[in-house]
Amino acid sequence: MLIEDVLEFLAGLSTTQLIAYFWPFFLLDMTRYLFLDFIIILIYIPKRIFEHARYKQARLNLYRERPLVSVIVPGKNEGKHIPRLAESLKEQYYKNYELIIVDDGSDDDTAVICRKLEQQGKIDLFIRNEIRGGKASAANTAFNFSKGKYIVHIDADSHLKMDTIETILLPFYMDDSIGAVGGDVRVANTEKSFATRLQAIEYFKSISTGRTISSELGILRIIAGAHGAFRRDILERLHGWDVGPGLDGDITLKIRKLGFRVVHEPMAVCYTNVPETFRRVAKQRFRWDRSMIRFRVRKHRDILLPSAGFSLTNFIASAENIFFNLVLDVKWWFYVVQMMFVNPALLGYIFIINYVLYLLANIVEFIMACALLHSSLRAKDYALVLFLPLIPVYTGIFLRIVRTYAYLMEFVHGASYYDKWNPWKVSRVAKEEKL
Amino acid sequence: MRKPYFIQSDNSAVDCYGVESVRLADIESIAFNKVAYWLIDMRIWQDGWEQLCQIRRHLTPAIYLRPVLFIIDSDSIAQEIVTASDGNLHRSVCDERLLEDWVSRVEPINQWIEHLNNANSGTDTNIAFKTLRLIASRNIELEPVTTIRRNSGYVYPLLEPLFNKRDTGVLETLDFLESQHLLNGRFISRAHFCSHCASAFLNFKETCPQCASDDISSDELIHHFKCAYTAEISQFRKAGRLVCPKCERELKHIGVDYDKPSIIYNCNECSYRFQDPKITTLCYNCGRQAEPENQQVRTIQAFTISAIGKNAADYGLDTLFTNILDNELNLFSEKAFNDFLKIEKSRIERYKLSKSSLLIIRFNDLDKLYIKLGSKAREVFYELSIIFKNILRYSDVITAKNETIFCVVLTETDCEQAKTAITRLQEKIQELFKSNLDFTPTMTTLVKEVTPELELEQILEEFLNDAD
Repeated sequence: MLIEDVLEFLAGLSTTQLIAYFWPFFLLDMTRYLFLDFIIILIYIPKRIFEHARYKQARLNLYRERPLVSVIVPGKNEGKHIPRLAESLKEQYYKNYELIIVDDGSDDDTAVICRKLEQQGKIDLFIRNEIRGGKASAANTAFNFSKGKYIVHIDADSHLKMDTIETILLPFYMDDSIGAVGGDVRVANTEKSFATRLQAIEYFKSISTGRTISSELGILRIIAGAHGAFRRDILERLHGWDVGPGLDGDITLKIRKLGFRVVHEPMAVCYTNVPETFRRVAKQRFRWDRSMIRFRVRKHRDILLPSAGFSLTNFIASAENIFFNLVLDVKWWFYVVQMMFVNPALLGYIFIINYVLYLLANIVEFIMACALLHSSLRAKDYALVLFLPLIPVYTGIFLRIVRTYAYLMEFVHGASYYDKWNPWKVSRVAKEEKL
Repeated sequence: MRKPYFIQSDNSAVDCYGVESVRLADIESIAFNKVAYWLIDMRIWQDGWEQLCQIRRHLTPAIYLRPVLFIIDSDSIAQEIVTASDGNLHRSVCDERLLEDWVSRVEPINQWIEHLNNANSGTDTNIAFKTLRLIASRNIELEPVTTIRRNSGYVYPLLEPLFNKRDTGVLETLDFLESQHLLNGRFISRAHFCSHCASAFLNFKETCPQCASDDISSDELIHHFKCAYTAEISQFRKAGRLVCPKCERELKHIGVDYDKPSIIYNCNECSYRFQDPKITTLCYNCGRQAEPENQQVRTIQAFTISAIGKNAADYGLDTLFTNILDNELNLFSEKAFNDFLKIEKSRIERYKLSKSSLLIIRFNDLDKLYIKLGSKAREVFYELSIIFKNILRYSDVITAKNETIFCVVLTETDCEQAKTAITRLQEKIQELFKSNLDFTPTMTTLVKEVTPELELEQILEEFLNDAD
């Protein structure tokens, strides 16, 4: 009955009315996330096949040079994850690496575990900072003691596919202007809960596909802290990472500002553990979303202004991020209010139709992700298709509410300066210095 | 009235404040109970020390236990030497009145010596027993003194002259006496000793875990809060100030704009960087290098004599075994044993129905066991007493003649059966020691049928004469 009413309502709409009622989808989201993505993927997949010989040559050059790669892992209370990470590194095809773990003031048995692994030769260098300094400080400690030509930064609760190290390095051997490569991040604990399954789909969409497309468009704005490779000389010029949260997006923009390209390599796979409850997801996203305001709107707003070092791609990378996240977030609330005023009686129909539209969009995006990543997907990844009906609610409502709250808190209170993610002494200085 | 005796040597003065002098060679010729203390001239301290050693190593309690006073000229003699005596008299202030004064001061020691049964005639050959008696006679807390003159690093000055073989001999003897509850220990310190040569002189070194070199340097890490730059302090040093190489800000106050999260070591040999240097020890004496956990750790204690120790100092160390046997087997007193033997002789004479045997056992090397076994001696003696208990019957009667001689009446047991019991006893004892250590105390035995004519004392005398 309801479906019939909805269909009847839909059939009665002219094209103009259809767009007027569902303009956020047709004018913005479908254009940006569906059509554009579809076109790029359509170009990227055959391009990747045609570039097979280039990749092969790059791999040959990599093994010919065989540079030392420093895998740095900063973290606090992550000891329980380190043995598995060390094991996954041992199985890498590319062997010339050093593993450096920095313990950022853990208060559990991380130090004991890592010292043992160090004695067993599974960790090349373990540094324990007795006083917690925050993730950037720990990453910089590791970087300072690393010797590799390339630095691979990964999170402790991650593990890598056997070809990951060599695959993430290949872009460096294909283009000298590449300063950093983002690796693909996939969910390791997919089957743990509803929350992890939905995040797994989200990661396919926003990281695997989304960042591949941004990379192709030359507007990739973030290399995930969970998995990224950097040229040593560039990190030396930058003196490593700045204070977080959001240090990964920050350093990506700084590399772009230096004039280097940053690209995403979807076939360099890193599996990471994601929060297992929606409460924890909300907490994590609250932190991530605030950093968008802090870094893109405040710290790196010079990218948006005409200056001597102005770069159109940098401008688009930042502007696109601000527009599609911040502006369109406001747009959604505007849209809801608009619909309530236009015809409150139709709100139910509009909600259902929007849900169906976004569900269809998600199905198409999932198919695109499968087409892009098919060789690296596992059977259980395909099974996630069953959870697609929940995605519009998860991303459209749950994450949107968290994001809006994060933006508001950051704009009004500068909430990121009070985040326990950084030690208070660091946050205090960051706030004083308006970092 | 006791008086001091001056120990005369070739290098010391003959006359000393009118005190009668005696040569060490003639020391046994004087009446010991008249001696208040031995007075030794420390003008040449090595000679004086040698005299002290000869006195303390004497076997007669009345000689080696007697107080010794030094006459010294200066404070230049090492602490562990001057504190080995019972008192020191500065030559500059020494006079007859002071010497008299010391006679009364050391009188409690002399009285303790006098109360011993065998003070004048006995021969104390056991070094542990001599140690115990020396401590008991002074009734003091024996405190260790640090020294660089001995490998052990610590000495107990009073005991040093007793021992021919220095260093570990003293410590081991004290450990043994404590393990037997004859001394009470009070914790003073814990010290590492070379497990190879027992030297206390170990150099604890921080070394590189990779190449074991001790050519390492350390650097503090600095974390600059503003820019998160974290590196060794050397990177921040600029014209005597600390300046961040990343943001070029000067670092002002630790805890406010920067902190020092850790220390990093760098090996100058192999360039390895690490945080946990490996600690190794180098023995100055034998040059052996080892990890601290592979060295011997010993607790250094001060000792006082216990109540059991006082008793043992009076009557001998061997009573330990007797005590255990007493607990396990209910040793009868000599009188009770003699009475029972008398009754048994009368019973056999009257009824002429049964035969009983008298068994005499003597352990020959029981004292050696103490030193050999150390703290395990009590356990082994307990095992020995269990063997006795298993072989003897409840109706058998046992007494200890002294610490090593035991007499048993095996009731309703003829000589053949008694010999079987002895064989079993010997086998069991051999078995016990074979599985524990390569030393078995020898045992001399005698079996006699209990007859009306049997005289215990006579048999014992014959037995001991034969055994010796």
